[in-house]
Amino acid sequence: MTRPSPWFIAVLLLPGIGLIAVFIGAVIYIAIAQSVGFYNLTGDSGFSMEFWEKLIGRKSYWTAVRYSLFIGFWAAVLSVAVAYPLALWLRKPFKGSLTISAILKAPLMIHGIVAAFLFLNIISYNGLVNQLLVWTGIFDDPRRLQNDSGAVGLLFLQVWKNMPFALLLLTGAVQSIPQDTLNAAQDLGAGTVERFRRIIAPLTVSAMQAALIIVFIDALADFTFQTTVGPTNRQSLSQYMEFFRGRGRWNEAAGVGVTLMALSLIGAVLMALTARLIFRERPIARVVTWYETRRVEAQT
Amino acid sequence: MITPHILNRALMILLISVAILWLVIPFTMAVLWSLVDPALPWTPDNLLPPVISTYRWSYMWENSLLKPALLNSYTLAPLAALLTFAISMPTAFAIGRYDFQGKEAVKLVALLPLVVPSFVTAIFFTSILYQIGLAQYRFATILFAHIVLFLPYAIRIMSVSFEQVRIDHINAARDLGASPWAVFRAAYWPAVKPGVLATLLIVFIKSVEEFAIAYIVGQPGFVTIPTLVYASLGQDFNRPNAAVLSLILAFPNVILMLFLERLLKSANPAMASGKGC
Repeated sequence: MTRPSPWFIAVLLLPGIGLIAVFIGAVIYIAIAQSVGFYNLTGDSGFSMEFWEKLIGRKSYWTAVRYSLFIGFWAAVLSVAVAYPLALWLRKPFKGSLTISAILKAPLMIHGIVAAFLFLNIISYNGLVNQLLVWTGIFDDPRRLQNDSGAVGLLFLQVWKNMPFALLLLTGAVQSIPQDTLNAAQDLGAGTVERFRRIIAPLTVSAMQAALIIVFIDALADFTFQTTVGPTNRQSLSQYMEFFRGRGRWNEAAGVGVTLMALSLIGAVLMALTARLIFRERPIARVVTWYETRRVEAQT
Repeated sequence: MITPHILNRALMILLISVAILWLVIPFTMAVLWSLVDPALPWTPDNLLPPVISTYRWSYMWENSLLKPALLNSYTLAPLAALLTFAISMPTAFAIGRYDFQGKEAVKLVALLPLVVPSFVTAIFFTSILYQIGLAQYRFATILFAHIVLFLPYAIRIMSVSFEQVRIDHINAARDLGASPWAVFRAAYWPAVKPGVLATLLIVFIKSVEEFAIAYIVGQPGFVTIPTLVYASLGQDFNRPNAAVLSLILAFPNVILMLFLERLLKSANPAMASGKGC
């Protein structure tokens, strides 16, 4: 590759990267500035921590923080937990594996709002799930399953939508593990769980981190699933932010927006670090490396 | 003894059953609900709607905001695709063809629109529009926001495409005395063509599907298909009408996505997803 003058590169980067930096920079700046009293659309503007104090003093703010973190964390963990066994199963191609892979990844192509509608349709009062549960005798009468207060329906929908994405990332990572490494671990007596914990997870931890981070940020900031199938007694942070904006309370909306951005960043870093710590290279991985080296030496 | 072959067969049967529950039943239900006749409602004691009718489809076409929503969505999407592509080209060319200091940082900055939550972007973009007095230009401002939000996809796909242009092809064309246009035709175009089509298609799909910006910036009165479907799931939830709108949003995009997947596989397998950046 050639190395042209930095000015020439800057001119080339300006329309794309320049536009992104200015736009996103302005959005982040205005959110932070409005949260501390600047750029008020009505009334005087000036530095003030009043809006933060009000926000932090509200119980509903902390409920929204806890609830969004709960949804973000469980959506990420469950999506990755469901995707791993599927990625391992589809690691080596077999008859029909491509079809299965396509079916599993299909929700990637379906819009979130459409998915919410399909789900509402199935769990409605006279919907299929209720009818099936009454028919099998589990329920005596149909029950209201929509907008359940435990957010089970919402988490199910989050996993439905995000698991295929985790699967997409993990499939590539799992396929790149050499078969010899897995065979070596098996020869050393490692069972399925041990092989996953000590070989597969440490070797695919980067893809796992990427999947955890992306699903976490997406679910933490969810608005559409929460307002269509989520519990009605709690608000997600996006919903809470829109609640303030809808009433013209921009400074408080900005406080929630800044919270959302900070939690996305902190939460994503923590999830990535935890995954790295749990699945860091274990002694058995070093044993396998030693075993492989010896085997290669013996062959040559 | 359970052999891997039997295990795979059992797992496949299980998975296909799950897939039917996962996809086939929900979509079949949506299609059936969209064909319910208002004169003869579909009651729980009937397995299928008593009468199949296309009344809901014609009713939604004539009496809802469907026409303006389709017009807005399908005008925004091609414009966003063309403009995003055009704006991404110089940056993608620089990343794909040149080595420069800070290239990795530039690639990270390019991902920013995907990292900041879309509702935060939408709400504070609206705030900026109010500050500078441009909030009434809904179509233009939504278009502008779509261009910036989808630039990461265009930059990523096009820079990978530019990387694949072989320098020996360019040199060979130049050595043979080709004009700049002929060099482009012979050396660049064959390598970047799938990327160009993939970029246009992915931004088109993303724009048609985009909800947060259209919903927040578009208030009040500007509708796109996703905001219309969302509204139909709200307080005035009417299942047959929502079914019609959901299918109108879902099907064209699924077909386009399948086409995109084929295109991306031929261009670069790592990008075989809308989220592949």
